[in-house]
Amino acid sequence: MSAVDFSDPATIAFLAAALQAAGVDGIEIEQPARKVRIVVERDAPGAAPLVQTLQTSPGATQLEAVTAPMAGIFDANHPDSPAPSSEPPREVGAGETLGFIRVGSVLLPVKASRPGMLTGRVAKDGAVVGYGDPLFEIELRP
Amino acid sequence: MTEGQKDRAGKDCRFDTVLIANRGEIALRILRACRDLGLKTVVVCSQADRQASYGTLADTFLCIGPASAGKSYLNSDAILLAARTTGAGAVHPGYGFLSENAAFSEAVEKAGMVFIGPTAQAIATMGDKIAAKSAMIAAGVPCVPGPDSALPDDRAAIEAIASEIGYPVIVKAAGGGGGRGMRVVLDAGALHESVALTREEARQAFGTPALYMEKFLEYPRHIEIQVLCDVHGNAIWLGHRDCSMQRRHQKVIEEAPAPGIAYDIIGPVAEACLKACRQIGYRGVGTFEFLYEDGSFYFIEMNTRLQVEHPVTEMTSGIDIVQAQIKAAQGIALDIAQSDVKIDGHAFECRINAEDPDTFLASAGTITALKLPSGPGIRVDTHVHAGYKVPPYYDSLIGKLIVHAPTRAEAIAAMRTALAETEIEGISTNLPLLRALFDDDGFAAGGTDIHYLEKWLKRRSAS
Repeated sequence: MSAVDFSDPATIAFLAAALQAAGVDGIEIEQPARKVRIVVERDAPGAAPLVQTLQTSPGATQLEAVTAPMAGIFDANHPDSPAPSSEPPREVGAGETLGFIRVGSVLLPVKASRPGMLTGRVAKDGAVVGYGDPLFEIELRP
Repeated sequence: MTEGQKDRAGKDCRFDTVLIANRGEIALRILRACRDLGLKTVVVCSQADRQASYGTLADTFLCIGPASAGKSYLNSDAILLAARTTGAGAVHPGYGFLSENAAFSEAVEKAGMVFIGPTAQAIATMGDKIAAKSAMIAAGVPCVPGPDSALPDDRAAIEAIASEIGYPVIVKAAGGGGGRGMRVVLDAGALHESVALTREEARQAFGTPALYMEKFLEYPRHIEIQVLCDVHGNAIWLGHRDCSMQRRHQKVIEEAPAPGIAYDIIGPVAEACLKACRQIGYRGVGTFEFLYEDGSFYFIEMNTRLQVEHPVTEMTSGIDIVQAQIKAAQGIALDIAQSDVKIDGHAFECRINAEDPDTFLASAGTITALKLPSGPGIRVDTHVHAGYKVPPYYDSLIGKLIVHAPTRAEAIAAMRTALAETEIEGISTNLPLLRALFDDDGFAAGGTDIHYLEKWLKRRSAS
């Protein structure tokens, strides 16, 4: 694969449009000397909802499923990460990266949209997951 | 042999996994053909089709996007990424969606996979009406009278073309198709206004203002020829079909062979189609569509893909068209010659749509009960079952009922019996319309034109 020039605004614009068209809300591309992260605005029309509310009965703890924003291979950890992320249950903050969807050499971070207790990981590390497949469960803070 | 064919013929294009980029009955049809050939399948779906039962038959069933077709079945990036993730070696586009998208064909091949269909160049040539007509004229395929070039802007020149063809004429957008972007001009008085309106529509809808003009045929039938080509320069045709029973350019009933059109009349036309295929380096299956009036054929367009109505030709030719298409994509040479193709008996196909039989409004919802016909010569291609929820987002076709019998009269009788046995509850379907048409004397006589159904519906609503 030939190197793509990520300093070219046209390339960034093309990728951003492709992400939006695919209902994907961000992408992280790493090259030997540089790293590019493109984030599509969550509220942009056509952006896929990242989070499904699993339980909404009043008084009860709210559970949310964090779902796959696109089809790909689920990686629980970044391949360059020195140590695996700690297993649930653990506290997570809004925007915290929980795992990755990998297609070829591209990694798309999967993030918590709201703070809460990460209670479970539904997807298996290395599994092929589809758009909207549940990956994690978060117990939201009241 | 063209350069394109040499590339494919010389290249190792074997694959063991096919990604099926479609849904519904045709996804299931392709899946079955792949399994019969010992190929693995990846079926991609939208969120609306996650529960589709054919998904359980696939080796991999993968959701690639939301219900909206633009974000799933028409999203070539998502399909290519899914193919990469699952290691698919080929992509079958089915019909509709991306099946006639030259850019998609090119993107699949650029990604190192096989597109089960023609080259991007062949799709583009046939997708442009003017280029397609030139290619047909070059091969001796009969076309509708009219120049094979875009209409000029000069008013006097347009008038001269129209009077040379003879009124009525039809003005069409070069980038149009499927009945869109065209206007009939009855006399010289309406010519310039019609050209201006169609040009503006073409500019807005198809991105090019290019128009062309043809003779308007008043009572034609829709006759089509099924072709099958490999990448070694071999091309055969598998008989003809009559698809004249249409409403708003949507086919309702198809049959093979076309009644009253003998093989010595259509044979030379089919031979010219095969010549055109060789000249443009066509590969795989394709359909040449013609208008037929007063004993003459007039080319209208070529569909560079598998068609909804392919089963009637499978029944009469005994050839599995989907398997043949996949084998051609693998670079395998055709193992039958034209002389091996024997047409046997008569076949009909009814398109069963989830729609109101009177208003034709789409009817989504859950099928609460389903009874399908069976018996000798009966085939049902469908993905639905009792409990299946028809999603509101896509085409209303939920199944195809196909019958095959020794004669046309026996096939009509068999279809009447099969339609009487079919029961679909919970949603509205066009079954009452299909039953009424199979009891219609004009249809039973054969050879009705493309306006027959619309006139029939008008008479029915007036009475």
